[in-house]
Amino acid sequence: MSSGTPYGESRSSSSRFLPPDPGVEAPYRLTPGLAFRVGFLGIVALLVFAVLFFRLWSLQVLSGDTHLAQAQGNQQRTIRIEALRGTIVDRRGRVIVDNVAGTAVKLWVADLPKEGRYDVIKRLAAVLDVRPARLAKEVDARFADPVNPITVKTAVGEDQVAYLYEHQTEFPGVQIQQTYLRHYRYQTLAAQLLGYVGEVSQEELDARSKVYRPGDKVGKAGVEAKLDVELRGEAGQAQITVDSLGQPKSGVEPRRDARPGKTVRLTIDIGLQRAAERALRYGIRTAIENESYYANGGALVALDPRDGAVLAMASTPTYTPSVYVGRVDPKKIEPLVNPVAAEKKNYPGINRATTGVYPPGSTWKPVVALAAMQEHELEPLQSLSCTPTATYGADKQQFRNWDPYVNHPMTLVEAMARSCDTYFYQVGYRFYLGGDKGRSRMQDWARLFGFGGPAGIDVGSEEAGLVPTPAWRKREFTGWDAEWNPGDSIQFSIGQKDVSVTPLQMARFYALLANGGNLVTPYVLAQVETPGARGQAPFVDRRFTPDPPKDLDLDPAALEFIRQGLYSATHSTYGTSSGVFANFAIPIAGKTGTAEKVVSIPGYPAAHTEDQSWWCGYGPAQTEVARIVVCAVIENGGHGSTAAAPAALRVFEQFFGVEAPTQTLVETD
Amino acid sequence: MIAHAGRQRIPLRRSDTADFVGLVRRLDLVLLLAAAALVGYGLWAVAGVTRFDVQGDPDYYVVRQAIAAGLGAVGLVVAIAIPTGVYCRYWRVIYGGTIALMVVVYVFAEAIRGSKRWLEIGPIQFQPSEFGKALFVLAIAGFLVERGRGVARLHTVLAALGLAIVPVLLVFVQPDLGTALVYAAALSAVLFVAGVRWLHLVVLAVLGGVMLASVLWFLPAAGVEVLKPYQSARLTSFANPDADPAGETYNVLQSITAVGAGGLEGRGVSEASQTRFDYLPEHATDFVFASFAEQRGFFGAAILLLLYLLVVWRGLRVVTVAGDLYGAMVAAGIVFAFLFQVFVNVGMTMGIAPVTGIPLPFVTVGGSSMVANLVAVGLLQAIHLRGSSGAPVR
Repeated sequence: MSSGTPYGESRSSSSRFLPPDPGVEAPYRLTPGLAFRVGFLGIVALLVFAVLFFRLWSLQVLSGDTHLAQAQGNQQRTIRIEALRGTIVDRRGRVIVDNVAGTAVKLWVADLPKEGRYDVIKRLAAVLDVRPARLAKEVDARFADPVNPITVKTAVGEDQVAYLYEHQTEFPGVQIQQTYLRHYRYQTLAAQLLGYVGEVSQEELDARSKVYRPGDKVGKAGVEAKLDVELRGEAGQAQITVDSLGQPKSGVEPRRDARPGKTVRLTIDIGLQRAAERALRYGIRTAIENESYYANGGALVALDPRDGAVLAMASTPTYTPSVYVGRVDPKKIEPLVNPVAAEKKNYPGINRATTGVYPPGSTWKPVVALAAMQEHELEPLQSLSCTPTATYGADKQQFRNWDPYVNHPMTLVEAMARSCDTYFYQVGYRFYLGGDKGRSRMQDWARLFGFGGPAGIDVGSEEAGLVPTPAWRKREFTGWDAEWNPGDSIQFSIGQKDVSVTPLQMARFYALLANGGNLVTPYVLAQVETPGARGQAPFVDRRFTPDPPKDLDLDPAALEFIRQGLYSATHSTYGTSSGVFANFAIPIAGKTGTAEKVVSIPGYPAAHTEDQSWWCGYGPAQTEVARIVVCAVIENGGHGSTAAAPAALRVFEQFFGVEAPTQTLVETD
Repeated sequence: MIAHAGRQRIPLRRSDTADFVGLVRRLDLVLLLAAAALVGYGLWAVAGVTRFDVQGDPDYYVVRQAIAAGLGAVGLVVAIAIPTGVYCRYWRVIYGGTIALMVVVYVFAEAIRGSKRWLEIGPIQFQPSEFGKALFVLAIAGFLVERGRGVARLHTVLAALGLAIVPVLLVFVQPDLGTALVYAAALSAVLFVAGVRWLHLVVLAVLGGVMLASVLWFLPAAGVEVLKPYQSARLTSFANPDADPAGETYNVLQSITAVGAGGLEGRGVSEASQTRFDYLPEHATDFVFASFAEQRGFFGAAILLLLYLLVVWRGLRVVTVAGDLYGAMVAAGIVFAFLFQVFVNVGMTMGIAPVTGIPLPFVTVGGSSMVANLVAVGLLQAIHLRGSSGAPVR
């Protein structure tokens, strides 16, 4: 390349008489230099194609399967097919809760456009009548989750669905799905017991990430929560093909069928449950008619005393679980979630039968009597005086009998029938005189009978109540108040002052009286079953075996005296609830209670004492083994005989299928 | 030849068209058949790729593409008929016309997706920068021929660069970075074949490298943004496609998935979901190769690449048989621009080249590109025709 042009060598060698003219081109020929350069370009071209071929080979042949899977993942969307939630049936298989078909609108967050997603959210919120801010918040929270759609709304109306279908392109990522809605055939029936179903919360998701997926419906309380796994079944899977906007391009292709949930059979009897709830309302009405104007709530438990099966469990005020279904009306749900609103409505969400604690009043007397006889502090056939008043303690404190017109000695049976307070004061005082140890012996028996701790029911929460002891007093109070005084023992003997129990604990104790000294564990869940074909018996998947009744090894004679006393209380001329039960065809035995409790009534600034109306008992009494125990309490209902007793009678009427003649309501303890 | 004193003009050969059979014989039939095969293959590819793009009219794009191919065939014949010497003689006119066209585009074109590339004349929309590629090569080569041996001197090289930079910049500001790069590639091939010294070439390459680096990194670091952010992101993101799968690299990832999903035999038109359901954007234009590879697999794509290789090989052969340096330079420029387009476009769909909006010759849906490419083949044929292969002309 010595001359001026790179290809010049061949040309400059031409020998001519004139020097080469730089402006004149020699005729063009392919020179080795140019050939080399073209060859160079050829090699570049070959290299380029080699690279392209290798890359193509590596993508399509070597890792083709991976990419194919990716491409399929792009378009195949797995959707969950909701399983039909199991039904809840009563002890005879009658359906209490089942499902109805509904439509749900879901939103795949990943399909929302990057820009303008809030416009889509706003439009969708407007169509479905949900709050846009809430939906936007949910979308933001789930933005990183491309596999689980948000349930925007269940129970969507037909016209809304039609609109969404017609304007599909304006709503990227919106999916309309069939869903099931919980259907409560008897509205409020056993509301607190059944619980309700709602969308799974973040806490629940974290706790059981394997079972739950975002957007799932789960049991939130009661039976629905307790047996959620059985009831929920197993969601199925289906696939749809979608385009890049998330619009379905194919029908739903099922991959795995959903397995419907199991049926849960309860020990509850619908008829009796309904009667119990009516009875409570009737009891409140009766109480108000008898001038206990603040009567506003109550609880009723009906147990089978032989094994502890809960036949009915009612709590009032109550609510309809369907407020949680589909379109949730904030106003309706307020009393269940907002403490202030709940107080106004007197806490409809709580189950008073298990979590309501009340002083038991005179229904407690059998506990004391039984304990005293077991401790040989009481001779049932020996008469003790029943005076209008009695005086105890160093400060000569006077304690009265509720009936100032009785003044004669009586045996245990009459004392129980008349519910004589002064008789039981003497029993209580005997324990007081037993020194530090003796003062808590009554309480030890009470604990043994199941008080002061949960009754062990299988569904829902429970309150323990309180069995006060000298040690407890010492622990909780200071100064004078830390002292266990005669008054403490005396008040305890008639179920007043500090002692508190739940209706369920009380029913359990009366079951023990009825069945001869066996402490049962109350239970509501009977079995989990798979519905049989039409007309066939269901297949039982799991039978719940309740804890067998615990034999407390009590003195049968002592128990018999108590039962005599309870029968006398409902049948003797002086019995406290004879006016209610004496003329009933089935022999019922039971005890009234009128317990003073400090309460705050909504609308009244100062707390004051109101009588809590109690009645506990069982039937049939005397002749055969009792088949039902009923324990009722009417809050602020006044005397046991004028509110709780007539309420309980309604339940017996339903249970035995016998109508009671007209009762005479007399105000007794 | 000595008779020609002073500046030599390449003589026009007027008797070329006299003997039609002889003329056809002197064409590069392999190149012609390869181009025809590419057109047919491309139409078949487009038929599959755009099957679901227009609702109710699966052949919408194929028909338009076929019409463009017909026009292109006419252009090809015309290009063969025109002696290349004409371009060489009137390179200034060509150069001026090209610049004027691009200015017109810049001033009058409607921006489509933020870019002014298309001119509308009545119902026809065309993209001058596609035709500009060939015109650019014709003009620059003409300039270099005029300078003759001066090409060995640096100032000639710089003058050529100065001449070239104007149209390149005009394309760049459309903005059409990809096509500007194609121009640059064509320019380098022209200079290379023109005989620019290796030393100068190295200097140019270093300069180009420095410029690229400053545009991409140094100037932005100093606060001067030459490229739009998306351009720079596209140019650099291919090196790291997983950086932002939902953003700039989304297209590339989807494209790689599409190519890979095609496997050995392809998924077929109706099963190729990446294309059918629009996961792959621009699958009829920039990413047409990915779509095609998804539908027809390795076999189909390899055949396409082989056809391209065939065209490149025949094109380079034209360089060697060209009757004059002008023809050699033009052929080299055209072939190299073609090679560059194929590499960048195909490479981009497979994640080994930066994402730029370069059409894939003969396949990408677009009339201007189709016609321009056929005209380019015509130019190669015209050079071949007058070259030293077979019977020398005249």
